Amino acid sequence: MSAILTVDGLTKTFGGVRAVDSCTLAVQEGSITGLIGPNGSGKTTVFNIITGYLRADAGAVRFAGRDVTGHDTGRLYRHGLSRTFQQARVFPPLTVLENLVAAGGYSWWQLFRRRITPADRTRAERLLDEFGLAAMADVPAAELSYGQRKLLEFAAVLMSEPRLVLLDEPTAGVNGVMVDTMERHVRARNAAGITFLIVEHDMTFVMRLCDPIVVLDAGRPIFSGPPAEVQSNDLVLDAYLGS
Amino acid sequence: MKSLVRGPVFFGLLIVLPLFGLQHWVLNMLVFVLMFAVMSSAWNLVGGLAGYPSLGHAAFFGIGAYALGSLFKGQTVSSGYEPFLWLPVVGLIGALIGWPIAVISMRTRADVFAIVTITFLFVVQTLAFNLHGITGGAQGLALPIPPFPAATFEQPYYYVLVLLLSVAMGLTFGAARSKVGLALSAVRADEDKARGIGVPTTGVKVLAFSVSVGLTAMVGGVWAYYQSFIYPQFAVDPLITIAIVLMTFLGGRATLWGPILGAGILETGQQYLAYELGGSQFYLIAYAMIFLLIMLFLPRGILPTLVERLRRRRSSAAPAPAPRMETAA
Repeated sequence: MSAILTVDGLTKTFGGVRAVDSCTLAVQEGSITGLIGPNGSGKTTVFNIITGYLRADAGAVRFAGRDVTGHDTGRLYRHGLSRTFQQARVFPPLTVLENLVAAGGYSWWQLFRRRITPADRTRAERLLDEFGLAAMADVPAAELSYGQRKLLEFAAVLMSEPRLVLLDEPTAGVNGVMVDTMERHVRARNAAGITFLIVEHDMTFVMRLCDPIVVLDAGRPIFSGPPAEVQSNDLVLDAYLGS
Repeated sequence: MKSLVRGPVFFGLLIVLPLFGLQHWVLNMLVFVLMFAVMSSAWNLVGGLAGYPSLGHAAFFGIGAYALGSLFKGQTVSSGYEPFLWLPVVGLIGALIGWPIAVISMRTRADVFAIVTITFLFVVQTLAFNLHGITGGAQGLALPIPPFPAATFEQPYYYVLVLLLSVAMGLTFGAARSKVGLALSAVRADEDKARGIGVPTTGVKVLAFSVSVGLTAMVGGVWAYYQSFIYPQFAVDPLITIAIVLMTFLGGRATLWGPILGAGILETGQQYLAYELGGSQFYLIAYAMIFLLIMLFLPRGILPTLVERLRRRRSSAAPAPAPRMETAA
């Protein structure tokens, strides 16, 4: 196995706060890697830097063998690095189908094509079926439940056929059935070859799904290993409970 | 698909309207209604579809006026149609100036964007008063006098504006049916998210801005030729910006017909009230009253509110899939 994503010496300060502090980690191709840590440990900041939403003060990000430090987020997306957000960000006025088509990863010259071409529809409908949203294809995303929006956001970032998907708290605020649904989709897509990096607070979900797990504290990884070891590691317990 | 019927009927009516021997003051008013309809429709491309409330559009109206003025300074025209043929060049000048302005100002959003663009408007206003070599300063700039017969003097301007309106509405219609419209909707709903899923946000919003201000510049050119004289205080006038923003809000943002409806109501209302209430400034109060009343009862603009009500009535009669606002209105 080789690393599809490596983060090397990443540092980011906001004012006087070091949100990320020479953070180094790697995500192996084909894995479902978990990224956990107490609140404020820098997980989302790491996500934002990897996906080009924030610029790091120092350090490098390599994705699929290329240095992508500071690349534009849209460009990364078109090259196969997708992410979702904590708050299930979809476009409420657009229909479910349009939400998917909008995420098709089009270059600007492709924008002069029809709003939804038959090819778009075929491509989107496959995902709608997979995620059980087919009946809602023409409903504005505003009318979906929160859990359905999370599914839609997940489905949408798969439109670009990504190699690596970063999920930011995929199960936050959704009911138990939806958590299981989410897990099923992640597993299915992982089996189909997509690598995942998941930030999550729901520990049972992480322990079930992720291997390895990286624990972040005060902006740097303090542990990386299989779930069983995380639970018994003193450093991790200290980070969560205080020493 | 209803707009495919509505459009030709509307433009058919516009084309035959002057043939009914309307009085000059009516035609003059229609010319101004059309100017504002084109500008509102153009503003809607960026202010409505992209959700970027530009307050700088009057600057491009002025830029278009002075561009045409400069092209024809000290010249005479024979047929009188030459300035119209140069309008695409005027539009291109407006769009080319708009491009870098958009690249810079669209790094900001919402209220900050509004302030940045209105600052640009004031810069252009100052330039209009002070670049004597181009604008003639406060003395103004004379354009050639068109040789059109007095009986049908307004008609050439009227028809050119109808043509520009069809271009503006055609672009709106086309945008809504292409991925440009989808991308603009995504930008309006959540721009950061749109960026993250590979929507070329900068490209699409800068394009919308440039096309929008290019059209606005062309209207400025028509206006300058219609007046035959450009005074800086009327060519670069913040009231123009305010009018087109109000018209678009009134009729309904991000709809095809809203800006045209808004321009029709506000411009005729303003002209009528100015006539009824004489030279006093009272008409401005009445004008504001109309606007406030409509906004009170139809807060999202006339068309979106009516379409929504119609939809609710229909769906309570027979549950049907909701028609999309953008395409229905």
